[in-house]
Amino acid sequence: MSTSSTAPTSLDRRRFVQGAAAAAAGGALWPRAIAAQGAPWAQRPPGNPQKLTFVVWQYGKIYEQISKQFEDDWGIKLNQIIEPNVEPQVAKLTTMFGAGDEVDVSLSPIQYLASYIQQGIAVPIDGLPGVDQYVKDFTPFARAAAQRDGKTWGLPYFSTAWIFIYNDELLGKAGFKGKPFRSYPELVEQARKAKKDGVAKYPILWIAGAGFEQLPGTWFNLTWNRGGVIFDKQLAPQLGAGSVARETLKWWQSTFKEELADPNSLNLRFIPACKAFNAGQHVFLGTLHHYYISLINDQAQSPIAGKGRVLGLPGDGKTIGYTMLYILTSATKNKEWAWKLQQYLGGRTKNGEYTQAQRLAQDAMLASGYQSVMESELLRKAWAKWADVPTVLDVFKKATNFADVVPAVAQPWYPRWSDAINVELTACLQGKISADLACDNMIAALATAKRG
Amino acid sequence: MTPGTGTDRAESSVRPDHGPRRARRRGELSAGRLAFLLNVPTLAGLVLVLAYPICFAGYLSFHEVSIRHLRAGEFPFAGLANFSRLFQDEVFWLSLRHTVVFVVASVVLELVIGLAIALTISDERVWLSRITRVLILIPWAVPPVVNGLLWSFIVNAQYGYLNRALHKLGLITDYINWLGHPRLATAAVIVAYVWRTTPFNILLYHAAIQGIPAQIYEAAAVDGASSWQSLWRLTLPLLRPVIAVTLILRTTFSFMVFDEILAITQGGPGNDTWVAAWYTYRMAFQPPFNIGLGAASAWVLAVIVGLVAIAYVKLVYRRVEYA
Repeated sequence: MSTSSTAPTSLDRRRFVQGAAAAAAGGALWPRAIAAQGAPWAQRPPGNPQKLTFVVWQYGKIYEQISKQFEDDWGIKLNQIIEPNVEPQVAKLTTMFGAGDEVDVSLSPIQYLASYIQQGIAVPIDGLPGVDQYVKDFTPFARAAAQRDGKTWGLPYFSTAWIFIYNDELLGKAGFKGKPFRSYPELVEQARKAKKDGVAKYPILWIAGAGFEQLPGTWFNLTWNRGGVIFDKQLAPQLGAGSVARETLKWWQSTFKEELADPNSLNLRFIPACKAFNAGQHVFLGTLHHYYISLINDQAQSPIAGKGRVLGLPGDGKTIGYTMLYILTSATKNKEWAWKLQQYLGGRTKNGEYTQAQRLAQDAMLASGYQSVMESELLRKAWAKWADVPTVLDVFKKATNFADVVPAVAQPWYPRWSDAINVELTACLQGKISADLACDNMIAALATAKRG
Repeated sequence: MTPGTGTDRAESSVRPDHGPRRARRRGELSAGRLAFLLNVPTLAGLVLVLAYPICFAGYLSFHEVSIRHLRAGEFPFAGLANFSRLFQDEVFWLSLRHTVVFVVASVVLELVIGLAIALTISDERVWLSRITRVLILIPWAVPPVVNGLLWSFIVNAQYGYLNRALHKLGLITDYINWLGHPRLATAAVIVAYVWRTTPFNILLYHAAIQGIPAQIYEAAAVDGASSWQSLWRLTLPLLRPVIAVTLILRTTFSFMVFDEILAITQGGPGNDTWVAAWYTYRMAFQPPFNIGLGAASAWVLAVIVGLVAIAYVKLVYRRVEYA
């Protein structure tokens, strides 16, 4: 457990004077920094904590980089608790919180935010210096994800939207050069042709591995694209007989029955699916986050680099998007400094830049929760090496916030229901149960999930 | 020598020990008391690191406990509500069933493979046996979660080494989705687990085999016993206590399998590899963070393990002396 002191010391004063002088000198050299001086992100909070703690899951080296910058800028050590994946990160955060440890900032997937609020882990950030400016710059997804009950619960980590990807070379071999499907019948037609011509044994690779965003995400996305929702605004499930969701599941199951879809899909989450697609044995990959095209077109890793193309969803292109958040926890002992750290992870650094967001866009093709970053030339230039940028940005324009399609995601019981529907969807796509039974079971599972 | 003689004679050779009475008369510590005193520091350590958490978990299982409650240190009394919910939860029973399958399969495999390897490397005629003894312990040194990650790479359907090897050998034409089918996924976890844990059995069996006096085998040979008869009539009966110990230890540990599940299957496909420890973890440390329910699940698991251990001691364990 870390300790912190808020008592100012002579070192604090000295460091403050040095910092102010350096900032003033820097401002003289760099006009942009002058503006930053007057902005809240350049101001040093009171106190001098020995250490600040954040709990996140690993993504490249982004946390080592931003931590070094924070420590260099403010002279405060960071306790970086970086877990390998979402589930262990959740366990780490909650056990630390339950044990009374100090945690200042954490990541929160959208499906866990309601639980974090209910458990008293997350606290609103309204009223902290600069929050209003951030909120004005939020994208619609980020605003929808970060604000509920009239309060703002965090800053965006990244945004994403679901897409299809296709192998341009194989599509051409199947006789559809430059004409990827625009409807579901066309998808089936092209897949059948590719199979018949021996272009691919299983032309379609679905993201259908168990998880929160994978197997259910694909189903939700297909359902929404076909005009349905999973829950209505009153949280009543829309999975009954004749519902779009149920019919979509029947159609999805049929792609497996007809052996157009690779049965290995049921074991594939995002990155493994990309690796499988990179082997060049599938024509279509869907549906997954937009930025995975960067793996498929990565010259260093992918045998089919340069052949991957982004394709928006069929018809009117309706798809789903969302943002993940960095939250401030109630376990912090120094809210002002915790807020400073939170901004380094999900907002602006001392120089006024969205450093982390820009780095994520440049290095990993992640979209931002800030409109200004999404509209920046830097992002367009960086993304151009992986995909057709206008196509990707157009997907975002047509994307609806996850919570509008699945309003229950904002309920504390949602993760448990998500576990249950993963079981039903898997059984259905394996052909063990019908789509009707799967949907009935999913409706029945709501009662258990709500009991907690 | 007649069948079963070794064991029967060994049991009958246990003689009453009058030492403690004599020691008391001389004002000395009896062996039992001395043993107890020497074990006091260990007992104190165990109470601190084991008994307290176990009792606290028992306390939590009768209360409504969430993360918020845990932080506040205030738990509303819930009576038997957690146990009631647990026993009504189909997923809990499913997890228990999976656990039993896992335990039986893994313990039997560990026993058979462990014995076979221990017997092999105990034979000084087997060349390289000394090196083998060292190498064979390597899996035991691998941390469980690392072992899980290692096997997750091996059995991965798309880029796993297993599919690649089978394909190269011409045994399969299409890659097998090892983790996509319930039985294959269960088998994958069992194999990964047994690979890591069998060296523990080998170590104990090997030590026990080394402790069997050579004269017993020499006498058997004089009586005309074949190698097979020596194994069945001498070695295995004399190994009975250590087999009992490994059965108890391995069964209890197998009941708690978690790391390999976490790293290889995450309970999938669907919930086909949910085991009791995974259920406990999911209930307690993932939303909705029902720690009381998780504690109740852990306690039920502990009681089951305790009952199994008692049954083993009653049914399998026998004292053996080479009189």
